[in-house]
Amino acid sequence: MDSKARMHVVVLGGGTAGWMAAAGIAKLLPASTTVTLVESEDIGIVGVGEATLPHIRAYVERLGIDEAEFMKATHATYKLGIDFRDFGKIGDSYIHPFGSFGEDVAGVGFHHWWLDQHHRGNVGDIGDYSMAVAAARANRFAPPAQDMTLASTYGYAYQFDATLFGPFMREFGIKHGVNRIEGLVTSVERNPENGNITALCLKSGERIEGDLFIDCSGFRSLLLGSELQEDWQDWSHWLPCDRAAAMPCTHQASDIRPYTIATAMPAGWRWQIPLQHRMGNGYVFSSAFCDEDKACNAIQQAAEGKALADPRILRFRPGRRIKSWSHNVIGVGLSSGFLEPLESTSIYLAQMAITYLIELFPEKGRIDARDRDEFNRLVDMEYDRVRDFLILHYNATTRDDSEFWNHVRTMQLPDSLMGKMELWRRTGRVEKYSDGLFYDASWIAVYIGQGVIPQSHDARTSMGDPARIANALNHLKQAIAAQVGAMPGHVDYLQRNAARLAEAA
Amino acid sequence: MSKARAPLRKIVVVGAGQVGAIVAIALKRALPACDITIIGTTPDPAAFADNAATALAFTNKLHDRLGISETQMITAAGASHRLVMRYFGWAETGSHGAMSYGTPSDPAMQSAFARNWGGGSKGSTRQPQMQSVAQALADAGRFIRPPNDAHTPISDIDYGLRWNAPAYRQLLVSIAQQLSIGHAPGDVAGVTLDESGSVASIEITGHGAIAADLFIDCGGPQAPLLSRLPGHATQDWSDHLPIRRVHLAAPGQPMLALEDRISFLGQGWLGECAGRDGLQSTLASIGGLDDTAIVSALGSAPALSIDCAPQRCEAPWIANVIAIGDAAARFEPLAGLPLDLAHRQLSLLLEMLPGQLIEPLERNEYNRRAVLMMDGVRDTLSMHYSAPHAAHLFDLERSDHVILSLDQFTRRGRLPLWEEAPFSASETMGLMGALGIAAGTPPQFATMGSGQIAAMRQGAEKLASDALEFVPPYQQWMAQMLGQRS
Ligand SMILES: Cc1cc2nc3c(=O)[nH]c(=O)nc-3n(C[C@H](O)[C@H](O)[C@H](O)COP(=O)(O)OP(=O)(O)OC[C@H]3O[C@@H](n4cnc5c(N)ncnc54)[C@H](O)[C@@H]3O)c2cc1C
Repeated sequence: MDSKARMHVVVLGGGTAGWMAAAGIAKLLPASTTVTLVESEDIGIVGVGEATLPHIRAYVERLGIDEAEFMKATHATYKLGIDFRDFGKIGDSYIHPFGSFGEDVAGVGFHHWWLDQHHRGNVGDIGDYSMAVAAARANRFAPPAQDMTLASTYGYAYQFDATLFGPFMREFGIKHGVNRIEGLVTSVERNPENGNITALCLKSGERIEGDLFIDCSGFRSLLLGSELQEDWQDWSHWLPCDRAAAMPCTHQASDIRPYTIATAMPAGWRWQIPLQHRMGNGYVFSSAFCDEDKACNAIQQAAEGKALADPRILRFRPGRRIKSWSHNVIGVGLSSGFLEPLESTSIYLAQMAITYLIELFPEKGRIDARDRDEFNRLVDMEYDRVRDFLILHYNATTRDDSEFWNHVRTMQLPDSLMGKMELWRRTGRVEKYSDGLFYDASWIAVYIGQGVIPQSHDARTSMGDPARIANALNHLKQAIAAQVGAMPGHVDYLQRNAARLAEAA
Repeated sequence: MSKARAPLRKIVVVGAGQVGAIVAIALKRALPACDITIIGTTPDPAAFADNAATALAFTNKLHDRLGISETQMITAAGASHRLVMRYFGWAETGSHGAMSYGTPSDPAMQSAFARNWGGGSKGSTRQPQMQSVAQALADAGRFIRPPNDAHTPISDIDYGLRWNAPAYRQLLVSIAQQLSIGHAPGDVAGVTLDESGSVASIEITGHGAIAADLFIDCGGPQAPLLSRLPGHATQDWSDHLPIRRVHLAAPGQPMLALEDRISFLGQGWLGECAGRDGLQSTLASIGGLDDTAIVSALGSAPALSIDCAPQRCEAPWIANVIAIGDAAARFEPLAGLPLDLAHRQLSLLLEMLPGQLIEPLERNEYNRRAVLMMDGVRDTLSMHYSAPHAAHLFDLERSDHVILSLDQFTRRGRLPLWEEAPFSASETMGLMGALGIAAGTPPQFATMGSGQIAAMRQGAEKLASDALEFVPPYQQWMAQMLGQRS
């Protein structure tokens, strides 16, 4: 390919999104691109974002990164799901697992059988019928099997140090030819005819020209937002949290949980994300219901372990740009939109945008409006599906102990979500789609976990012999318990696979 | 606290063809205590799903689930296996291409977790074109049913069956009888609605009124039940699909082959479906062919000629009546699609089986998905007429989805996800390739070195040669299967 046909890609921003994008493009499109990344130490990165979804593994594998090396460098632990505490009501706890519950029986979804036994008072927690939940509760971990057995019914993700992941990807990116420039972008040059961005101008006076600009400048959204003024769709009426107070701590116990904890708080919720060397903590809250000092206090009170730093306040807005790809600028990461970290979806959304961008990468140096539209359609679909699922966590509650919970419990829902919830309430069925994130198993976990028990379930569950069904459920529960019992502890597993362990600091 | 819904006590299935019969069997298996009666006589010959002698791979799974074994299909219904569908003349005169079934397995996507946990790009990116294992087997005439208890070189292969339609129907009827499913001959003469607008009972000629909780309309293109309900409407597909007339030949010479053929003829297409009990030829045309043209294309005078007005109902489930098969959608009998659609709709009904009381939201969700299924079939057919030769001759409308898919496939070598489509994204790309629609190269493969491609080709050849070594000639296996039974 001649050098004219090579697209010069300029990535603005060296946070998680920026380095994931630069490394991905450099590695997967080596012959058709040159990649330059501009980042500024003066501004720094957001430095949070520690819990991921299983899809991150596909990214790591596709780039040919060795898992052990990656985990070691980022001080990563395994994650089997999220334990949601106090959401449906104070005292509740359920795990939304990376996995499903039971199996269909006679063509009827497992949860219908569970609901039927539940109605008869014959079963315990639905989590007892999920490998991922049972393993998480037992603090155990083993990699899932890739066959059709019980051991293949779960997946895993990582919990890693956000301040180490970027640098790890940076090293990888530079090795694969990314040209890194340290500097502060102070202005932008545009083509007066078509409005495309032509160059970034740095404080040092340097100009960086490019054909395609990937805006990974974080909440600043320097290109897509400030420069191109792409419209913003605001979702704060559904997702009122707009601040976080983050505070890392030491581990309090020697055991490390293979899952994240999200605990509901009076004006939001707080996370506990265990890494190899420390515990990430933070209180995500709504500034309309709680001021920043109060939130900092609250996280200091709540966090276990010794604080490694003072609480740090982060400010954000939930929503997304109407268009993530406009002109020759593609927003990836926080610059294109933000959904709060309740289900650890942000890095996933950045990864998706990168994947779609690679599939739709401009040919012969020309951007085709059809590809831009397709990219925006896909990104919107991903955001909107996640949005409804997050809102569910707030709305499906009986909590009335604070103004915040009163607000989210009674707020007007998006129509798309209202229809889904009503269908569930009436029939125990989950609206089905195959695109986007979060399928039946996830919706069922949250509905049941937060006490939204439907009025009725599938008629076929009433026809079998209840004792036999109870027996079958019990059998499954025991099989899961036995398999989990044979798994090593999470810490044990990490120690036995010591290539995954970070060197002691 | 959630309570199980009161189960259906009585279901009436209108239509005694193979669609009505399998629907009744499936419902009886799901609800053994339910009283199920089939109404009707022999199927309308103009019903394409009801008279189909072939479907797609999905049907095999449905059969499995209903306890209809493939051995039974082979010994009692004359079934044989289709590994590839060969398309002649769609790209240009004299061209041909083959489509096979199944999705090359990505071990990471096989696990239960991958099936249950969403997210990620669900569309598909076209891999550099390699000869498929199925094609190699079809060319060599070698195949056996893949053993399901072990991983073998043919484990990833999917296939469609074709059979002797009257014998298949007879097999289903005898299973229905064993299950004590009732049968009342007669036609629907009228329906009586209750005050809520649901059907209380239907009037059957020579029989009187029959009441039920739920009625399934498998009564063929006339939709004898659904069409009588207030609120029923149809959506015309004739702007999208050109076929107006279908001619069926009497069964020809018996034939054991692993491929079927669909040839584009300019004014329509000729389908040749190999059958152990006779080759089945179908001529579908835009209409206006004279007899000589028909005979010369079909090879004989047609045994039956049928008008075809492509359309679907707006909503297949109204009140307590659900239309499945020809009663829900009517379109040309191409590539096994009519019966495949009926079977997938049946499976959707099993998934969302209502209780005695019908929940409107559940009905809406069923209709949403059933409509996606029907439109997916229309779009798959529409894809055929987007093949270069066909597109050149016909000026047809295309849905936004087809337009987007064609654009993305031809320029970028990718296909967006189709919810509830008859084929997976990779199968659809195989179809488009077989039809001669030129694929673009995905950016990630654009710069693949010739060494890499050679390595992939070698890999594909190895897979094919392993499979060829593993299986005996199909004829030999079939003889064995039949011998065991006689
Ligand atoms: C409280 C909180 C918790 C979160 N938790 C999770 C989680 O658990 N899981 C998850 O997946 N995600 C989480 N996220 C989101 C996650 O942190 C981000 O998606 C991820 O870090 C990507 O950020 P980014 O790269 O887009 O932005 P940033 O990290 O902010 O990077 C921006 C980059 O742009 C550069 N830059 C900006 N302006 C200029 C300029 N003028 N000149 C030069 N360079 C410039 C900066 O120097 C920096 O390198 C969380 C976010 C928040 C706020």
